[in-house]
Amino acid sequence: MSRLTEIEAMIGRIALGDRAAFGSLYDATSAKLFGTCLRVLNNRAEAEDALQEIYVKVWHNAGRYQVNGLSPMTWLITIARNHAIDRLRLRRRAEARGGGDMDAVAEMADTAPGPEALALASSEAGRIDRCMTELEPERAAAVRSAYLTGDSYAELAERHGVPLNTMRTWLRRSLMRLKECLTR
Amino acid sequence: MTGAEDHHEEDLLMAAEHVLGLLEGEDLAAAERRLEQDPAYRALYAGWAEDLGSLAEGFEPVAPPSRIKGAIDKRLFGARREGLLRRLGLWPALTAAVLAAGTYLVVTDLDLLRFEPEGPALRAEIAAEDRSLVVQVAYDPAEPDMLQVSRPSGDAAPGRSLELWLIAGEAAPVSLGVLPQDREGRLAIPEALRPMLPEAVLAVSDEPEGGSPTGTATGPVLGVGPVTSL
Repeated sequence: MSRLTEIEAMIGRIALGDRAAFGSLYDATSAKLFGTCLRVLNNRAEAEDALQEIYVKVWHNAGRYQVNGLSPMTWLITIARNHAIDRLRLRRRAEARGGGDMDAVAEMADTAPGPEALALASSEAGRIDRCMTELEPERAAAVRSAYLTGDSYAELAERHGVPLNTMRTWLRRSLMRLKECLTR
Repeated sequence: MTGAEDHHEEDLLMAAEHVLGLLEGEDLAAAERRLEQDPAYRALYAGWAEDLGSLAEGFEPVAPPSRIKGAIDKRLFGARREGLLRRLGLWPALTAAVLAAGTYLVVTDLDLLRFEPEGPALRAEIAAEDRSLVVQVAYDPAEPDMLQVSRPSGDAAPGRSLELWLIAGEAAPVSLGVLPQDREGRLAIPEALRPMLPEAVLAVSDEPEGGSPTGTATGPVLGVGPVTSL
C-alpha cells in the first residue's frame, strides 16, 4: 500500500505543477500504462503516441484526481484504458469508412486471457480472474472484450453472433454474477 | 426482490456499463451527471472501476522507449526550452545579428515573453566529490533577476577566481559570472538565460582572477550539479 500512497502524493504534487513529481510518477507507472496501451491497441507506434497523450492528460488533470474516488493506480489505468479505447474506436471508424475488412477488425484485440492474466499476477487480478472463470467462457470473453476493446453492445453482438438484446442481457447478467463473486 | 434492491441493481449495472463505455447518448449524459452529483452512484462507479481495472493488472508491464518521456516533456514544457537552446546554439551569430539589426532583438524578446514569465523556485548544489568545495545556488521567481549563491565550503586559490557556468543541453557553457568573495552573495542572471535554468546543469571552474578571459572555461571544473525545482 505504501507505493500507492507514494503515487497519490506524486499526483498531489503534480496538481501543484511539480515537474520532478511528474518525472517520478512517469518512472513509477509508465511501464504499466504502456503495457495497457499495447494490450488494447495491439500496435506499438500507436501505443507510443497514446502513452504521450495519456501523460499529457495526467499532467493537466491531476487536480481532478480526487473527484471520482478512485485509487491512484486505478485512476491512471482508467485514463490509459479509456484513451486507448478512444483511439481504437477512431481507428475502427476509419477502417469501416475505408471499406474496412471486418475480419481484421475482429482480430485486432486478443480478448482471451493472456498467459500473464492466467499467472494471476497479483491478488486483485487473481480475484477478478477467478471470478471470470465462474462465468461461461463465452460470456467471460464478452466482458473482457467490452473492457479491452470498448466494443458497443452492437459490436459485441456482431462479434459473438447473437442478437443485440441477447447480448445486452448476457452481459448484464454476467456483470451481476461477477459483482456477486467479487463481494463474496 | 424488493423495489429498493431492484433500484440498486439497476444503478449497479448502469455504473458497470458506464465504466465499460457501453452507455451512449442520453443514458451516458445522465450517468455523467450522477457521477458529478450523487455520492452513492460515485461509489458504485469507483467500485467497478477498481474491479474491472484489475483486469488490467494482469497485463505485462512494458518499459516504453526512453525517447517517449522526452517527447512528453517537450509537449508539456518544451517549446520554449527547445527554442532557446537553438537560439543559444546560434548565440554568436545572434549577437552579430543584434548589432546589425535591432529588430532581431525585438523578435527574440517577444518570443521570450510569450512563455510563462514565472516558474518554480529552483536550486542547485555544485559540489566537489570530496566536498572540499560546496556551492549552493537558489533562484526565486519572485526575484527573477538574481541568483542567491552561498558557499558553505571551499575558497578560490590565491590569485584565482571561482566562476559559475550554466550548461543547457548540448550548448556551450555560458558564464554566470565570478562567485562573490563572501560566502553568501548574489549574482545577476540575464533575462535570456532564465528560461534555461530549470533544465540546466551548473558548474564551477577555477579561473584567473576576475574570471575567464575567453568567455569559455579555461581552468579545471571543480564541481557540477543539476538544477532542480524545490
